[in-house]
Amino acid sequence: MASGSSLSLLRVAPVVHVLGLVILIFSFTMLAPLLTALVAHDDAQHAFDESFAITLAAGVALWLIGRRWQRELKVRDGFLLVILVWTGLPAVATLPFIIYTPEMSFTDAYFEAISGLTTTGATVMSGLDDLPPSLNLWRHLLQWLGGMGIIVLAVAILPLLGVGGRQLLKAELPGPIKDSKLTPRIADTAKLLWAMYAGLTALCAVALKLAGMSWFDAICHAFATLSLGGFSTHDASIGHFNSPLIEAVLIVFMLLAALNFVTHFLAFRQKRLAAYRHDPEVRGVLGLVLASCLGISVYVWQAGVYPEYLTALRHVSFNLVSLATDCGFASTDYNGWPMFSTMWMLFLSCVAASSGSTGGGLKMIRSMILMRQGVRELEHQLHPAARLPVKVGGHAVPNQIVFAIQAFVMMYIATVVTMTLVLLASGLDFVSAFSAVIACINNAGPGLNEVGPGTNYAGLNDFQTWVLAFTMLLGRLELFTVFVLFTRAFWRG
Amino acid sequence: MSQILPVLHILSKVLMLYALAFLLPLAISLGLADGAHLAYDEAILVTFFSGAVLWLFTRRGRRELQTRDGFLLVVLIWTTLPLYSTIPLLLTLPDLSFTHAYFEAVSGLTATGATVLSGLDDLPPSLNVWRTEMHWIGGMGVIVLVVAVLPLLGVGGRQLFKAETPTPMKDSKLTPRMAETAKGLWLVYAIVTGFCILALWAGGMGWIDALVHAFSVMSLGGMSSRDASLGYFDSVLLELIVMGFALIAAISFSTHFLAFRMKSLAAYRFDAEIPWLLGVLGVSILGITGYLLLQGVYVEFFEALRYTAFNTISVATTLGFSTTDFNAWPYFAPLFMLFLSSFIAGSGSTGGGIKMLRAMLLYKQVYRELIKLVHPKAAVHTKVGQQAVPNKIIYAILAFLFIYVASIIILSFILAASGLDVFTAFTAVVAMVNNTGPGLGLVGPASTYAVLTDFQLWVLSFAMLLGRLEFFTLLVVLTPVFWRK
Repeated sequence: MASGSSLSLLRVAPVVHVLGLVILIFSFTMLAPLLTALVAHDDAQHAFDESFAITLAAGVALWLIGRRWQRELKVRDGFLLVILVWTGLPAVATLPFIIYTPEMSFTDAYFEAISGLTTTGATVMSGLDDLPPSLNLWRHLLQWLGGMGIIVLAVAILPLLGVGGRQLLKAELPGPIKDSKLTPRIADTAKLLWAMYAGLTALCAVALKLAGMSWFDAICHAFATLSLGGFSTHDASIGHFNSPLIEAVLIVFMLLAALNFVTHFLAFRQKRLAAYRHDPEVRGVLGLVLASCLGISVYVWQAGVYPEYLTALRHVSFNLVSLATDCGFASTDYNGWPMFSTMWMLFLSCVAASSGSTGGGLKMIRSMILMRQGVRELEHQLHPAARLPVKVGGHAVPNQIVFAIQAFVMMYIATVVTMTLVLLASGLDFVSAFSAVIACINNAGPGLNEVGPGTNYAGLNDFQTWVLAFTMLLGRLELFTVFVLFTRAFWRG
Repeated sequence: MSQILPVLHILSKVLMLYALAFLLPLAISLGLADGAHLAYDEAILVTFFSGAVLWLFTRRGRRELQTRDGFLLVVLIWTTLPLYSTIPLLLTLPDLSFTHAYFEAVSGLTATGATVLSGLDDLPPSLNVWRTEMHWIGGMGVIVLVVAVLPLLGVGGRQLFKAETPTPMKDSKLTPRMAETAKGLWLVYAIVTGFCILALWAGGMGWIDALVHAFSVMSLGGMSSRDASLGYFDSVLLELIVMGFALIAAISFSTHFLAFRMKSLAAYRFDAEIPWLLGVLGVSILGITGYLLLQGVYVEFFEALRYTAFNTISVATTLGFSTTDFNAWPYFAPLFMLFLSSFIAGSGSTGGGIKMLRAMLLYKQVYRELIKLVHPKAAVHTKVGQQAVPNKIIYAILAFLFIYVASIIILSFILAASGLDVFTAFTAVVAMVNNTGPGLGLVGPASTYAVLTDFQLWVLSFAMLLGRLEFFTLLVVLTPVFWRK
């Protein structure tokens, strides 16, 4: 029996091999901003030259080193791989930032990079309007690539790993539609969904151009919209444009990105809208968001924030949809709105996005199952002998899945409480700490107060920045993926 | 209507019995000649008369109670008794609104300890005795509720607690009949309260103060006869005494009863909650002491330890006394203390929150889910002591926690919508739902709840009841399904 340490090496090496491949491929994405730098004659050329070279070399090195232990990856390796990819890629993604701006700390650069790849959209950078176009493109490209990764994660990888009740979500295809199975192999599934994702991104870019943006802005913001990331090329985010038309376009595409991409694919393939009707989450997402827009706009208007109701409706709708879908664009500094409204928007960011979308949080389907479970428990008190299954979309949800979802939610709450306490202990005020944690764990973006939509995350100290970077990772990888690494059982035979 | 007659009949008996409670403040009022005795006379008359009339009208409805009746009875008792409890308050303090009086009464009976009154030092002593006597009676009610009634109703996984008497002990069953069980527990409760009164008096309090504070400590209520709470006495000895009895009250009374009956301390060794309770508290106190020293709130170690230990134990056990305005501390500390109040108290104690046993099970359940990711086929059981806990119970506990969190979120939103700042709203809701007492922000230990609007006070009264009745009991009665045949 091999000793403990070499056993770990045998475990880690095949994963590192695949990681090397991923980093290698990732390095080629740096060519796009490199090209932009050349064409636009901005001064960030050297940053991308060098970053590309270093990243390529690192990828090749890891790939070669791990070759000896190359083998089929097992489920347990999946956990490790997912984490290494989502912590490793941000590390190399910092290179353009650090090389171009030597005064930027690694902490800040890593935060920006992981905010990009987890499509959170919290930024530590200012003066975005004056940034070299290639660097801005890089930020937004990170988000778009992150979105692709999330789709694969959500639809294929996490269900295989069985995290947080995801086994249900793997099977939860919109109802009785002939020939509705997606091709079972991860690669094929991924490719089809990426095609949808890319297509919608292109549509969004065109729509934004028609609505008045420049091509560069349109492409960047389309990247940030479909990935529900929320980075912008302007410090004032969407407020810079002050255009209801642009806001309307973005609302439509944010909502689209917050729906299940599998549903989009099915609708596309059948050339019918039936898929949307059969997806139980669609009703939940759209209903909740619509009702909230109406209700909160009335509340905000009543509170005297805007003299005219239509103005209130415009601003509330955009920012509420942005936060609820975990995108993170802002059209105005809503930090001054009554607390109830901003808290409600943050609450939506926890529950509204669909599974299989690029959004974050608990996901709508888990929220729906939890609510029905709560009702079931109440009825159970009165009729202890009755067998009442929890149903969603016409199908009964197995008890095992409900269990897993409940445990997931408990973990989620415990994580939020713990991270908030940690940030409080480090000196941050209550509202900033709490909202920052929620915004990061849901990969939404802006919080409130110190990290509100009118400012950015630059005001935090290094410790707080790392805590929030970790929180972003936890949220994106659905908690258990990371926590499982802390159990002894994972590392033993 | 005929459905609820049996329940009302029992309620009438409870009311008539409850009228006797006013005798104590009456006696004290007469003895001290503090001028409030008429209020208690009236209270006795009104309460007894109401009970008698109700008894007469519901006589024909007598029958065996079913599960459904149990829920209704519990809810009615806990909403009606506060109603009559307001009588001495309203008669003695003519400026007091009904909303304020009812809030105070609910806070009394649920052993929360949040108060809308100020100038406590100048109130008639009998009134202060009445306030904390409500705590004491409420505490008794809670013990019976959680050790006998709720397990029968199967609320929140309580079936577990019914069986959760320390096991590897011969003849360890609590006497199976509910009445016997209740009497045994009350005996222990009363005896320990007696010791507490003596200890506080020996520690330097006057007899009335000792009585008031002993009632408050054993029920883990928190009302005091002083605006400055226990800080008024500025006595390390008294603080130690209170801490000691608060910890005793935070341990399950069924454990105390077993120790008493066995005449042995072995019962405590087999209580699974005690090591966790003491451990978490110990580590927290040390941590917060260090934190406050680092933040410069205190300069000397023992000073920091003194104030941290007392206020942490007070808040964590959901007692609610204070010796300093911890609202002025860096917020991490009091927020962590409030967090502790959510789960530290033992399952058969007079404390609030989700209770230590549920917290332990939740922790183990989450760990079990993690292990399942690594070994999907393994059958891993969650254990407490030596017993495996059936899935049904885990399920109920998970649902309980969900309702707990959902209630906090919803009630905080409601208060925020009514104009209260988020920090005060959230800490007030948590303090109410855990039946702790002081919150933070506008309702910190140096302030009272009188600053809130009537609407906010009613919301918080509801929150206190939700927490004390463990949510489902109250919520079930509010569902349409309950009232259908």
